[in-house]
Amino acid sequence: MRDQRSFLKNVIKKGITGLVVGVFLVGVTRALAFPPVFQVMFFTYAMLGAAVFLLLDAPSLQPMSGTKALVALLAFYVVISGVYIGGASLWPQYDPEDEKGKIEKLLKAKRAATEQGKAEELLARTKALSEKADAIMQRLQAVGGAALARFPTGADGGIPSGASPAASGDLVALGKEQWKLQECYNCHKLSGQGGKKRGPEMDNIGNLMTPQELRQKVLDPRSWMAEGFEKEYEKKKMPDKYKDLMEDKEIDELVAFLSTLKNPSVNTPKAIKKK
Amino acid sequence: MRTWRTWQRSLLLMLGLLAVFGTAAYAQVPTPPAAEFPYTGNRTAVWIVAQLHILFAAFILGAPIFVVISEWLGYRKQDPRYDRLAKEVTKVTVILYSMTALTGGLFIFVLLATYPQFTTWLINHFFLIFAVLYPLLFIAETIVLYLYFYTWDAWKGEKKGRHIALGVLLNIIGTVTLFVIDGPTSFMNTPAKAAEGLSLVEYIQTASLWDKVYNYSWMPLNLHRLVGNVTFGGFIAGLIAAYMYMGAKNEEERSYYDWMGFVGNLIGVGALLFLPFMGYLLSFELCDYDASICPYMMADQLSMFFEMQGAMVGLIFLASNYYIWLSMKRIEGVERVRMSALTVLVMVALPFVMTYVWTIFPVPDPKSLAVLVPLTLAPWILSKGMPPLGRITVSSRTVIKVGFLMVVVGNAIWMTPHGFVATQALSTEHLELPSDWSFLALMPAKNSAAFTLIFVTVVNYILYNRAIRQGTIVWGKIDFAAQFVLIFLAFSAIWTMGLMGAVRSLVRKYFHTYNLMPDFTAESFTPTLSYAAWWITGITLIFYMVVSFAIMVTLRASEAKAPEAAAKPVPAGAK
Repeated sequence: MRDQRSFLKNVIKKGITGLVVGVFLVGVTRALAFPPVFQVMFFTYAMLGAAVFLLLDAPSLQPMSGTKALVALLAFYVVISGVYIGGASLWPQYDPEDEKGKIEKLLKAKRAATEQGKAEELLARTKALSEKADAIMQRLQAVGGAALARFPTGADGGIPSGASPAASGDLVALGKEQWKLQECYNCHKLSGQGGKKRGPEMDNIGNLMTPQELRQKVLDPRSWMAEGFEKEYEKKKMPDKYKDLMEDKEIDELVAFLSTLKNPSVNTPKAIKKK
Repeated sequence: MRTWRTWQRSLLLMLGLLAVFGTAAYAQVPTPPAAEFPYTGNRTAVWIVAQLHILFAAFILGAPIFVVISEWLGYRKQDPRYDRLAKEVTKVTVILYSMTALTGGLFIFVLLATYPQFTTWLINHFFLIFAVLYPLLFIAETIVLYLYFYTWDAWKGEKKGRHIALGVLLNIIGTVTLFVIDGPTSFMNTPAKAAEGLSLVEYIQTASLWDKVYNYSWMPLNLHRLVGNVTFGGFIAGLIAAYMYMGAKNEEERSYYDWMGFVGNLIGVGALLFLPFMGYLLSFELCDYDASICPYMMADQLSMFFEMQGAMVGLIFLASNYYIWLSMKRIEGVERVRMSALTVLVMVALPFVMTYVWTIFPVPDPKSLAVLVPLTLAPWILSKGMPPLGRITVSSRTVIKVGFLMVVVGNAIWMTPHGFVATQALSTEHLELPSDWSFLALMPAKNSAAFTLIFVTVVNYILYNRAIRQGTIVWGKIDFAAQFVLIFLAFSAIWTMGLMGAVRSLVRKYFHTYNLMPDFTAESFTPTLSYAAWWITGITLIFYMVVSFAIMVTLRASEAKAPEAAAKPVPAGAK
């Protein structure tokens, strides 16, 4: 009974200490302009500390055996399982949907090169052609022969498809897409976004390197070095995988996009030829 | 009992033959269509079976390392407790060895059924390993393990040295097996880099087996797994001790299993101290292989997995130090143990000083050691060299309490993220650390946090050692809560292993073999941490059920059969 009373006193004492430290940390972090989510985090750390110190002075657990021990054990497993699943679910979750479309595009060319991919592409083309033929037939039936002269045709006499970057052949737009797909933004800043000092800012790269040189850099990262990035160059920070991962066409698109980046107000470092 | 052993042997033989001939035959068959697992999907099905296999394999490879050391200690010190510990863990190892083979066979079946094209491709690239080396090593290990176990009672006294040598041989074969199978595993993460002028695909077609095995992450993975397996084995030994303590019928048993729990925890924590360095080495090599892996792990899709890892490692260190605290409470005369106040000062200063030092001299720059080594050794050097300083002491209770405070501080630093977002692409300043404080999320701060946790734990063990020498330890009288701490440690170690195993697989992104063999299935995306946590918990619970069953059928059953033998262990040196 005395043990329980002293433990209760301890709970109150440690709880108050935890609260005081927590509130103090919230005050300090607020003064230092930490976002609210970090203030909550520091408060939680203070309470965790209080819980740890509470545990240190907790009264001894009475020995258990038989069914009581078994039930306690099972309850313990349920609690830790719940805490771990709950804890993991509390952290911000990455949305796989963000990645699915990207992966589809990244692997499109490689999938097409496989036997299965070729068969799938053939089927898709057949289906698309059949749909287009149906559409033409319906239009012809609806407007009659006179309208046929006004029907737009492509250079090869075919029907132009949609206005997406891929279909319209807008190299720069496709290159921008490659910038996102290859996650270049993880190392290079552009328009003030992305990058963590692993690579130079790219806003003015179009004024500093020719398309040919840019292409050489992407295919062989050792061929050029950005001034002031000697350490990163020595550590081979830029992966030399793009020659294996990207199709020629995709590299052309990326280079076309990079060549348009001509903002002299951003201090993109000079490129030094190394090979 | 005889039927059970025969069944085990038949199963192992069957799986060995399957591994030798089945994979070889399958590799020649034209690509069959992939099976589709209902509910879980193919990737998660492979995940479950692979993770279970790795957990069992980790135990059977890790446990024999300290089993032999324990047997040797028992022989040298003539302390029968060490011999008994070694034998009991070996008993459990034998059962779990069958489970390793069973899940290994299942792993091959599931992999072949779900990813036939990739599996065939991988087997063809490592044909010598999959069809010859690995099965031969597995069979050799089976033979030596059974010999080791069944000669235990026959080879004692003068023959004990022979038995210990057999255990050493078992460990050599086990380690070689681990290194061999790590070849294809690490290759999937970091395939050999192409020679100048060749594409990766062209190079791999002509590369030798050694070129493929000796890749960037092979040795770091070997070391990480080797140390991880010992940690894991130690904590499982602690789990065995906790179960047996809970079911102990007399004081003698409680006393023995209390001691066994202490040893298991000591082995687990001792190896755990090296684990952050091994993990760091592995991730360093992964990033060195391809710098884009780093942001994927630390800043993008997997960043929250690493937050969870930080939380788990922090909890493991808290729990292991709490176990020391509970152990100290039952040492008579512990209040007389004191330690230099400088130790407490170093403890408090360490995370702050080392964050600054490692920012100026980032790892692996050896210049940082010029501060780290003198700082950590300062309490001992100054106490000896300047006696007046050495006389300023604090009680063991104060040292441990300050230590706990610093473990909480270390955990807080480790867990502080750059931003509360799962990917940097979505980051806004409302969710990010202020730029002046962003160093808290960088590697120097994380390294100093890890080092603080290690330093505090080492200090606590030194203190504990002094307490044992100066006071009297009363085995069998430990706070009952300590048994739950041991169970918690084993559960958390397994869970963390599952989490980091998932990370190692996921860093391959949408490839089966990074940059080489794409995964065209719809499941090649990064799952959420929450989804991963459900499955990791499920896998951990399944593993726990099997291990609990193994402990019950081996130790509890044999105890019920011959209680007198268990109560009076034969001294290791006795004939």
